[in-house]
Amino acid sequence: MRKLILLTPLVWLLAVSSLPAASSEADRLKGVINAAIEAVYGDGCAELTLEEKQVKVRATLESEYDLDVIIRRAIGRNWSLMNAQEQEQVLQLVKQLLVKAYVKGMNGTSRPEVQLGETIEITDKRIEIPSEIKMDGKTVNVLYRLGRMKSGWQIYDIVAEDISVVANYRQQLDDHFRKGNGQDLVNKLKELLIKEDIDEEIQL
Amino acid sequence: MKKYNSNHIFAALLLCACGITSSLHAEDDFLLEENLYGEQLEIGPAISDPLEFINRYTFEFNDFVYLNLVEPLAKGYQAVTPDPVEASATRFFNNLKYPVRLAGNLLQGRLDGAWVETGRFAINSTIGVLGLFTPADKMSGFEPIPKEDIGQAFGSWGLGEGPYLILPLLGPSNLRDLGGMLGDRAVNPLDEPFSAIDDWSWEWPIALAVTEFTAASPSLLERYKRLKGTAIDPYGSLKDGYTQFRRAAIQE
Repeated sequence: MRKLILLTPLVWLLAVSSLPAASSEADRLKGVINAAIEAVYGDGCAELTLEEKQVKVRATLESEYDLDVIIRRAIGRNWSLMNAQEQEQVLQLVKQLLVKAYVKGMNGTSRPEVQLGETIEITDKRIEIPSEIKMDGKTVNVLYRLGRMKSGWQIYDIVAEDISVVANYRQQLDDHFRKGNGQDLVNKLKELLIKEDIDEEIQL
Repeated sequence: MKKYNSNHIFAALLLCACGITSSLHAEDDFLLEENLYGEQLEIGPAISDPLEFINRYTFEFNDFVYLNLVEPLAKGYQAVTPDPVEASATRFFNNLKYPVRLAGNLLQGRLDGAWVETGRFAINSTIGVLGLFTPADKMSGFEPIPKEDIGQAFGSWGLGEGPYLILPLLGPSNLRDLGGMLGDRAVNPLDEPFSAIDDWSWEWPIALAVTEFTAASPSLLERYKRLKGTAIDPYGSLKDGYTQFRRAAIQE
């Protein structure tokens, strides 16, 4: 009997360590999505500039998820083709670009409604959370792929309407590094951010 | 000297086991960064693009046309068309594409899909006033299903994509989907050059095509600009986006 009692912690330890993907991950994701939407559509946000909204959205996302993970996966093996300074610059510029695209995409649209589906456990280290986003009478299906990393569950891909963001960027970056280098990529990203600003000015 | 009984030894072993187990799990339970970042993505075979040089020129041409001609057209159309009318026009042209969806389903042996599409066409064309409305959406068994076309059917038969193509004005495609598109036109009684209507003058098909294009342009342009907006290489982004989308449609 005593041995049985002594065995309890071992059984508990094994059970806990092999727990399937925590269902709370969907709640965490939902919380972040809602907070990011709130940062754009919340009370008082209408007066904020696009830049201020971007700062809020980025802080919201980074408070829960490490955005480096999805960007590093998109870069793939091309990472080793850049020096440390270029790597850091690329991470920062891509983050800026993505957050800017998100805020710009939401600008002037009605507040989206997001519905998360059941969490799908791919392995004990990978889960997928489907979602349905309704905005301006249209429905978009978005799948979030999360991996269990040392830093916790992290988003490593987003698949919107069957198009993987990571695969799409990987294709572009593979093409880029066949002819160009890290510095070219940094320059291209900077150009793209400036070009986006010009486009906004023209629209205004 | 202190004596140890079997329970003490068992407890000590158990603690050791717990320690080893937890440290092993600490390594095993996580995705390693080098694995996650370095692994090949499951995106199927590489996209064949031997005509990249020509495609890129066509892409630039299309981009110019989309942003300088189609965008003003789309904005003008949206400005003068109330939202409900715009939505009805889109539904009307979607309804007319029924023969394409029917053929796509039949060629893949999807009889249930063919049945649903036929039911939807019948309901939307009658109760829905020529497809301006879609009452079938709310009828059990006739809710919208993924759209099928002949290119998808070719893909489901195992026909390869062939080289990636950018078609003037029409945008991304590949050799298989170009063949599928010709098939789509052949089964659609309203599309030229295979139109089943002999006695209409040449202005009608052109007017129909222009109206259809105008009605579809706002949403097409929105998708195009969204994909292009954050792209490091818009050409590569569109090529990959189109191919991923088509492969997923065929797999489904």
